[in-house]
Amino acid sequence: MLITMGLLLALSFVVSLLALTFLIWAIATRQFALDRAQAKTVFGKEAAEPDTDGTHLFDTTGIDRVSARPVRLLILGAIFWLLLASAFGVIASLKLHWPDWLNQAAPLTFGRMRALHLNLVTYGWLSQIGIACMYWILPRIFRTQLRSPQLAVIGFWLWNIGVTLGAVTFAWGWTDGEEWLEFAWQFDMLLVLAGVFFVVPLVRTARAREVDHIYVTGWYFLAAMVWFPCLFFIANFPGIHYGVEEATVNWWFAHNVLGLWLTPLGVGTAYYFIPKIIGKPIYSYSLSLIGFWGLALFYSQVGIHHLIGGPLPTWVVTLSIVHSMMMFIPVIAVAINQHVTVARNTWALRESLPLRFIAFGAVMYTLASFQGSIEALRSVNTITHFTHYTVGHAHLGAYAFVSIVMFGAAYHIMPRMVGREFAYPGLIRLHFWLVVLGFAIYFFALTIGGVLQGLAMLDATRSFAESVMVTKPYLEARSVGGTMMALGHVVFAANIIGILRAPRRALQPQSSVPAE
Amino acid sequence: MNRPDKQPVKSRLADEGYEPWENNRRIPLPVIWVAVALAVWGTATLLRDSGSYAVAQNERQSGETVAAEAPEGGEALFLARCSTCHQPNGAGVRLAVPPLHGSDFAKAGPEVVAQIMLRGIDGPIRVSGFAYDGRMPSFAAALNDGDIAQIASFVANRFGGTGAALEAGQVATLRAAQANKGSWQGGAELAALVPDLPTQPPMPAEAKPATDPAISALVFAGKSDAWSCASCHGDLGQGTENTPRLAGLAQGYIARQLRDFRQGERHNESMNSVAKALNDHEIHGLAAYYARQRVASAAQPALGGDLARGEQIALQGDWSIGVPACFSCHGPSGFGVAPDFPALAAQQPAYIASQLAAWAGGHRNNSPLGLMDRISEALPEADRRAVADYLASLPAVPAPEQRAEAKIDGGKDEL
Repeated sequence: MLITMGLLLALSFVVSLLALTFLIWAIATRQFALDRAQAKTVFGKEAAEPDTDGTHLFDTTGIDRVSARPVRLLILGAIFWLLLASAFGVIASLKLHWPDWLNQAAPLTFGRMRALHLNLVTYGWLSQIGIACMYWILPRIFRTQLRSPQLAVIGFWLWNIGVTLGAVTFAWGWTDGEEWLEFAWQFDMLLVLAGVFFVVPLVRTARAREVDHIYVTGWYFLAAMVWFPCLFFIANFPGIHYGVEEATVNWWFAHNVLGLWLTPLGVGTAYYFIPKIIGKPIYSYSLSLIGFWGLALFYSQVGIHHLIGGPLPTWVVTLSIVHSMMMFIPVIAVAINQHVTVARNTWALRESLPLRFIAFGAVMYTLASFQGSIEALRSVNTITHFTHYTVGHAHLGAYAFVSIVMFGAAYHIMPRMVGREFAYPGLIRLHFWLVVLGFAIYFFALTIGGVLQGLAMLDATRSFAESVMVTKPYLEARSVGGTMMALGHVVFAANIIGILRAPRRALQPQSSVPAE
Repeated sequence: MNRPDKQPVKSRLADEGYEPWENNRRIPLPVIWVAVALAVWGTATLLRDSGSYAVAQNERQSGETVAAEAPEGGEALFLARCSTCHQPNGAGVRLAVPPLHGSDFAKAGPEVVAQIMLRGIDGPIRVSGFAYDGRMPSFAAALNDGDIAQIASFVANRFGGTGAALEAGQVATLRAAQANKGSWQGGAELAALVPDLPTQPPMPAEAKPATDPAISALVFAGKSDAWSCASCHGDLGQGTENTPRLAGLAQGYIARQLRDFRQGERHNESMNSVAKALNDHEIHGLAAYYARQRVASAAQPALGGDLARGEQIALQGDWSIGVPACFSCHGPSGFGVAPDFPALAAQQPAYIASQLAAWAGGHRNNSPLGLMDRISEALPEADRRAVADYLASLPAVPAPEQRAEAKIDGGKDEL
């Protein structure tokens, strides 16, 4: 048989699958000498039997007090960008069916509005709220105080200065011209520098941890901390990639922002808060391993499925499609671990509002990933490529999954950070239903409209204009849904700022949190 | 492992001090099945891709072999390059394409044939007793010396009955001698090359009437409410992608399309807008301008259509699906029949395919008697691409001189 790229790929694919299986088996059955000692810490004296005698109970007051300052800043910064990005998103959505509205100046045009929405959501809102969760959760699972919190504060300011400069200069037309990488690379390097300030305290905390075993959330967070700066630096560094290679790197990066940065943030956060709130352990350690290592192995090749039909070597695209489908494995593993814990304790959804957000988001992770894998198949992609269907899918992942998990996380963290309860739990319910219903309208409108649009574009006997006109009612529905989501964000901001502003009729503090 | 809840009962939610951990359950079997199934599928997909890579490699290699072998026969080259117009038997097309069989030019030997091929002909010519409006493209750029030598030898031997053969080196000498001289100015100039020709028709005294500067301005600069023709159709009216080639379309056809665009009988946002800005005089002038343009083909097959199938549809039609031959109405070699049947040869393939699709979908309906509506509906999508690609592979149609046009529609562009 001819030695071809495809044959070599198939062989290396099999080898890497075997290696992955061996790795997971080795860790799960504690084949590493090092791990036997860890196992004692995790599972008590008898390694096979989980321990419930109090190893997992400890006082976090001193730990939270140190984390509070960077976490508070990051949550506030994130909410600021969320509100701004939502406004841009709604404007961009309205422009799709009111094309002549707000077109008096270049910064107001659709191309700028849409890219601002995307970048501010990604780097302003999701990244910062995710980093806030890292700062809140990691010291707790390491059972030790955050080290060098002042560096995190410097990182916060650098990060926000970078995002602000990037957004303002982009609005006036200074751009690298690639999707997800619109901000000029000079400002992106500022974000990389800020990332260093964020990572150093977390690494120092990890090195000083009081436990040997690292809970699954810690794997995701520590890995994301390494993955994202590498991705971001390589993709933004100017003058390395040209032509088709540039497009390849562009989409390799763009999809990895979701898969190797936002997904670990969201999955890690859900992995922590679901058992934390319910008070029951995660279903299976082995499944955690499959979920994590599967993501690590398969995800990095997924992005090229955005270039199906593009002028790339077929084997690059096929490899990406295969890896997209392989993502079913880690996603199923994570789904069993998280959903079984929730499904056996549905009472907790009634008692905990944050859990409602987080459990909903976790289910959306499963659905978004399944949908994404299917969408990568050539037969499906032929219809959905270049349509609003893809936009619906992107929001299922970045919004219904990551953002909604983060809403829940913020609602869980805030009372414990400031030592007060939310004054109006009704507003939290309002927020939940606004974003969930708004998102449902948004998603189903774009999904149906996108399929109709794709079918119209494929039919050569129909004019291109027809494929545009057919989407109009769905785009209007999308604006309705998007506006509801944006209103939900205003309620969210009011809730968070309300609890921070210490209303006089607040309940007695439950723990002593020093005023800052 | 579902132990009874040990948390305090006031709220069943976790105590603040509880931190998450993992149970040590086994991996559920269905997860392993799914993983194994996906691994098998993934490996098979990558292997199949390897197969398609091998197929592509083989096709490329065999294509190279065919390309390397083809030039061996002057006949094969003639069939590929010349027979579309001159016909495989060299009989030509009555009143349109001069015959080669028995012609004085073929009898004059391969050197004459080669020199005609190198420069092309642009002027009236008399062959075997009939006068033709001689328009033959130059093949200097399209064919190399070896190819021209083989074709010229084949034509002179087969149709002229001479025994002489031409070598590539001789063609190179002729190519150098005839470089940059433009087309042969009809039989009159060729008479200097071929002795004892019957009297050739004279070149028309005045070459082309000067173009109206107002029309020229419309073509290249547009006016306040209409952008220039050249901005989309190209400087020479050669067209690109979905924008049609205009050069050499019949004057009456162009004028009628512009009027249809103006009245909304034919739909295209850009052309509707431009045509509304044109008055009758300008339409007449533009149509005359483009009808006189002589431009080499800028089109080539681009839609992945099956050229053999396209040729079959163009030459014979496919009566099993009720489709007549394109050339039965659009003229031999797709030259067009003024004013209703536009020239198809060298038209942009994306444009032909999109127009066929538009007729089939009811978006274009200004064809006489609705002929194209029914034909386009009957053509499957692959056939539309095949025929569009085939037509793009033909040489550009020589544009008729204005006097020829005058003979056809009485000097007016009214239908």
